[in-house]
Amino acid sequence: MADNKFAAYICSGCGIGDTLDIAGLEKIATREGKMALVKSHPFLCNAEGVQLIKDDIEKEAVTHICVAACSRRAKTEAFNFPTVSMSRANLREGVLWVVAEGAEHDEVRQEMAEDYIRMGCAEVKKMSLPQGNAKRDQTQNKTILVVGGGMSGMTAALASAEAGYEVALVEKTAALGGFAGKLWKRVPFSSPYADPQATGVAEMAAKISANGRIKVHLNTTVAETGGAPGRFKVKLAQESGVVNDMTVGAIIQASGFTPYDMAKLPELGAGQANVVDQAGLEAMACAANGGAIKRADGKEVKSVVFVQCAGQRDETGTHLAYCSGHCCATSIKQAMYFKDANPEVDTVVVYDDLRVPGMGEDFYRSAQKKGVVFTKGKASKVTGGDSCKVEFTDLILDEPTSVDADLVVLATGQVANAGVNLDAWTEVNTAAEGGNEEAKQKRSEMKTISVLNLDYRQGPDVPQFKYGFADSHFICFPYETRRTGIYAAGPMRRPMDMLQATEDATGAAMKAIQAVENAAQGRAAHPRAGDLSYPIVRLEGCTQCKRCTVECPFGAIDEDEKRFPVFNEERCRRCGTCMGACPVRVISFENYSCDTVGMQVKAVNVPDEDEEKPRILILACENDAYPALDMAGVQRLTYSAYVRAIPVRCLGSVNTIWITDALNQGFDGVMMMGCKKGDDYQCHFVKGSEMAYYRLSKIGDTLTQLGLEPERVVTEEVAITDNARVAKLINDYAAQLNDLGLSPMKGFG
Amino acid sequence: MSDLNTQAVARYKNNFLREVEERVEEGNMVKMCMQCGVCAGSCPFGPHWQHSPQKIFMMIRAGKREELLTSDSMWMCTSCYNCIVRCPRKLPITHIIHGLANYAHRLKLVPKGQPTRDVTKLFWDNLMKVGRINELTFSLALYFKDGLVQGIKNSLAMQSAGLGLLKAGRLNPMEIFGGHKCKEQSGIHRMIAKAREIEDGRRGLLA
Amino acid sequence: MTASIATGQTILVVGGGISGMTAALEAAECGKRVILVEKTPSLGGRTAQLYRYFPKMCYPSCGMEINLKRIKGNPNVRVMTMTEVTAVSGSRGNYAVTLKVSPRYVTENCTACGECGKAVTSEVADTFNYGLSKVKAAYLPNAMAYPQRYVIDPSIAGTAEGEAAKAACKYSAVDLGMKEDTVQLNVGTVVWATGWRPYDANKIQPYGYDRFANVITSVEFERLCDPHGPTGGKILRPGDGKEAKNIAFIQCAGSRDENHLPHCSRICCMASLKQTQYVREAYGEGENAGKSTIYYIDIRAIDRFEDFYQMVQKDPTVSFVKSKVAKIVENKENGNPILHGVDTEGYHRYDTEHDLVVLAVGMEPEVTGVKLPDDIILDSSNFIEGSKDGGMFGAGAASSPLDVNRAVQSATAASLKAIQVIHKTASTEAA
Repeated sequence: MADNKFAAYICSGCGIGDTLDIAGLEKIATREGKMALVKSHPFLCNAEGVQLIKDDIEKEAVTHICVAACSRRAKTEAFNFPTVSMSRANLREGVLWVVAEGAEHDEVRQEMAEDYIRMGCAEVKKMSLPQGNAKRDQTQNKTILVVGGGMSGMTAALASAEAGYEVALVEKTAALGGFAGKLWKRVPFSSPYADPQATGVAEMAAKISANGRIKVHLNTTVAETGGAPGRFKVKLAQESGVVNDMTVGAIIQASGFTPYDMAKLPELGAGQANVVDQAGLEAMACAANGGAIKRADGKEVKSVVFVQCAGQRDETGTHLAYCSGHCCATSIKQAMYFKDANPEVDTVVVYDDLRVPGMGEDFYRSAQKKGVVFTKGKASKVTGGDSCKVEFTDLILDEPTSVDADLVVLATGQVANAGVNLDAWTEVNTAAEGGNEEAKQKRSEMKTISVLNLDYRQGPDVPQFKYGFADSHFICFPYETRRTGIYAAGPMRRPMDMLQATEDATGAAMKAIQAVENAAQGRAAHPRAGDLSYPIVRLEGCTQCKRCTVECPFGAIDEDEKRFPVFNEERCRRCGTCMGACPVRVISFENYSCDTVGMQVKAVNVPDEDEEKPRILILACENDAYPALDMAGVQRLTYSAYVRAIPVRCLGSVNTIWITDALNQGFDGVMMMGCKKGDDYQCHFVKGSEMAYYRLSKIGDTLTQLGLEPERVVTEEVAITDNARVAKLINDYAAQLNDLGLSPMKGFG
Repeated sequence: MSDLNTQAVARYKNNFLREVEERVEEGNMVKMCMQCGVCAGSCPFGPHWQHSPQKIFMMIRAGKREELLTSDSMWMCTSCYNCIVRCPRKLPITHIIHGLANYAHRLKLVPKGQPTRDVTKLFWDNLMKVGRINELTFSLALYFKDGLVQGIKNSLAMQSAGLGLLKAGRLNPMEIFGGHKCKEQSGIHRMIAKAREIEDGRRGLLA
Repeated sequence: MTASIATGQTILVVGGGISGMTAALEAAECGKRVILVEKTPSLGGRTAQLYRYFPKMCYPSCGMEINLKRIKGNPNVRVMTMTEVTAVSGSRGNYAVTLKVSPRYVTENCTACGECGKAVTSEVADTFNYGLSKVKAAYLPNAMAYPQRYVIDPSIAGTAEGEAAKAACKYSAVDLGMKEDTVQLNVGTVVWATGWRPYDANKIQPYGYDRFANVITSVEFERLCDPHGPTGGKILRPGDGKEAKNIAFIQCAGSRDENHLPHCSRICCMASLKQTQYVREAYGEGENAGKSTIYYIDIRAIDRFEDFYQMVQKDPTVSFVKSKVAKIVENKENGNPILHGVDTEGYHRYDTEHDLVVLAVGMEPEVTGVKLPDDIILDSSNFIEGSKDGGMFGAGAASSPLDVNRAVQSATAASLKAIQVIHKTASTEAA
């Protein structure tokens, strides 16, 4: 391998050269940054400037470059040199645009720029050349495993196969169709939204069996899942006891829902004759086969009342707190079953808010046209029997009233079949691992509802978000589960109707396909899409503390028998939380490591005490806080020239060594800027910022040992829109440090 | 209670919505109401109604037949058409309200002395007599509908208006003796009778 | 006319909002070639103009940053801004597409240094702020704009102002001679992610949006509350610049209305619930608290959005009136809108005065009134269902009134459908 050759390119455009001493910066890059080549250019991002760099890469065999110009977020197309390692020193957004104008600031401004040059040079020196993923097994598996043969699973299977991928479709019962297979008809999916439609389940099942790319496994469950995207090892257990091993590339979990148990609703007539749930009504409609719907006693139903939100939207904590979204449209559809067979049947829907968003409004109107009566009210009591009675408060006429009917249908909600709740699991598992026999027993019981039986360190199923659904927390990224290569689809992800479930399943198939393609190339999945680096671990230094395996937000790290971490690289999202967690610093990435950041911290020139120039280190999340700092610059907001900001992949990747190093070196304060944590977390790596906060809550001891005030290290939740706030935070903190006085550590570093 | 009413009660039992759908002008649109309340809020006479249009629709669904048909709410409509213009479901609310009023009238359920009904009836009767409206006899009938004394008081109160009309040639005192008429009066009567027969047949109102 | 290299294996995505970006990226990250065209000067679409998302109250720009990073790092996606599709011919697997590229008058040399903006004095309506403020006629569309490149408004292109902008640019990035260009492409499939627009509130006569300064739309309210918006995040009403504290939110302004939009626009209930929380955050609780009133027909907070609804219901600064507001009149003394209607739960008439009225305007497909290829199938509200030949797809809010989360879901699904077309074309060609 050729020797590394380092070069720095300093842009003097956008006013950088008018305000900063470029020759001085060049000198820093050469003398302190130890760059073999240092060049400046008045317009580095134009074709000529870019060519200058390209020529050096080709002719001068430059391997590592530091581009000192605008922010790493700007001019990415121009500064795109995939064969070399590159750092960016942010002179424009990070210095020029944020330091107050005027000659009196010239000195601190120049110092700031010089430090960013030092930091950029230090960073790139610790980066390894892009390796690609030569060690990747090129025979990665691209088969998509779909777990669940209902509407979502069938849709995902067909969608994947039609894009050219092999599919294994696993269904635990003896037939495809799932809940949809038990319906008489479904709600319409396209214009006109007027009438119930055939479910199409049989046609889909036929299409699946005719598709050579799809292998259907009926009466089969997933007994065990291990491995990672591109190489999941799955044990498929047939009802007969036969177990087959297979390798798949990605997994779509479409395990559906179970209707909320209406037995829990005695006040709404549960258990009484002629009170059924929506699933019960579907069975009656299937039996009627388009004719008059008959009750269990054989009597033809002449009047029916639908009670919406039965056991849902419950604020008492007894029943489901959420709305299942589909039930209003389902009741409308079911009322049409009666009206379409016999317009004389009285159908009344008792609702509170009629929730048929989007084109569902057309379906609602169509039902009204057919004579379905909608009454806004809250049902308080249902009595079953030969003549049923629904007692409710009419919310429009503002009075208690009742209606009699031959049949009452309760619109109960959806309960996700998402498998084991990992929060509960972790608690039991920890006790079990501690040898508690009772916990071991409980753990086995818990596992019986597992869908995937993952052999992951962090538990047997995908993490659930709320109310037992495996939803994503992200609005912009609805498919981001915390298990790379495993995608949830349909009503186990979120309560939904069949139309949404089919869209959802198609989207999940897209993500699964992307996962196998990424795995084959060794590329990271969202949010560091395309990142080719892998975590590198020096096991010889590992103390088996398990922090990385516990803290990884994506369950990417397992443990071997000796409790050493086993990195399942294809599961890794490159957030660096493991790196931040590691107390002995044995985990790193080729272009992001304890050293790439640590050396930047060390590169900063901390002035002696008598100069009275404090230094503040900012470690800013690259996804939100760093762009906010950038945009403060774009808007020409000013902040203290004493700060030195370093972007980090996630606050979770911050290793406390950086902080102690900074303080030892004489930094007067450290600001950590990361995303919001807690229930409404905004961390792109889910748990990263939370981990950082947790770790930093314990840094007080270290500070005390160093004889430092706790205010020397602060953490701030910063959103990407906080441009103005971030400038204010910095200035306030600078003022606070001014009151506190300079760090007593200066000169000892 | 009329025979028609007894018959309707027997026929529709408690299904007032169906009764309205079949028997009231544009009653088949009542079911399309989604209870948004814009009609009630848009009615300039709103504060004076016992039941607003939206509530009337809800009462129909709730089977409050007697309460609605014997109320005077439908008689308050001034046909301003605000409700129709604003209704998001394009319900012909004004027409339905008039239809309900007419239906209550046919069933003889209108409260005694309901002034709008009385005026309307006077107007209709006057019109039907000779096929044209006679302003003089209609006005006088209106003034004197509550007795002689009240009639004189009303006439005196309206004296200047009457004189004005007289001067302008808009009121002919000779009209009191029958006035101008249609040419084919019996034809008009036959036509109206036939129309009513068809309409009543359609609505199941033939006694 | 410019020829561009694209083939039957290329996916064309029309619209650079969050749905279009998603559809483009999901396919590109599978190794497919994608051309993403956007008619405005920067990506982001309407979500970029939102202050925060429901129900997390997080920031759209946060996801935008990630998506832009994905785009910047992916050589498979080619972005064309200020570009519109003017014609599509051919069929599934082989479409010929004509694009119209409007002049930006600024080349790729632009470094976004901002000198041109300083040099010009004339101003134009800031469309990013729905016209609530003005921006220099040489401008960066917004702080996060991608491409990060200035735009010169056509109104100054041929004027001394344009020359001033040109003279101020040290990087020869201003090209006032730029002309409209036409580009021909061959692509295999088209994803229409053309999005939505707020329904024209002027058409809702009784609410007086056209007559009363203190009646605004929900999208405008987003800009008012955004610290990056025209008022720096202060809720100042347009009529007189006074702080608005007693705010009415009118649901179904245009939606669920056969006189306007017959469909339910889905997002408006949640958007208004969210916006009540802006008011709450602006004024806090207690003495100085603001007041929000939601006038609604049904609160359609489906699935786990119900949590958010229940949270807002418990908020003492928010009240709910089940009523479609009949009309608004203006109090001439103070410019306050007065709402008239009936609370349908028990019939209580009201004539309530508020400082500001926010109309939760409905979503209308952006393509309403636009000539689309004959093959496109539209539903009764002009949402795109697909194409007869199965080679073109609707995605996101172009396909149905969707919230961001569902739009992204829809776009991800549309992306796979496009890949299926590419795959089939490739297999046919190979055979």
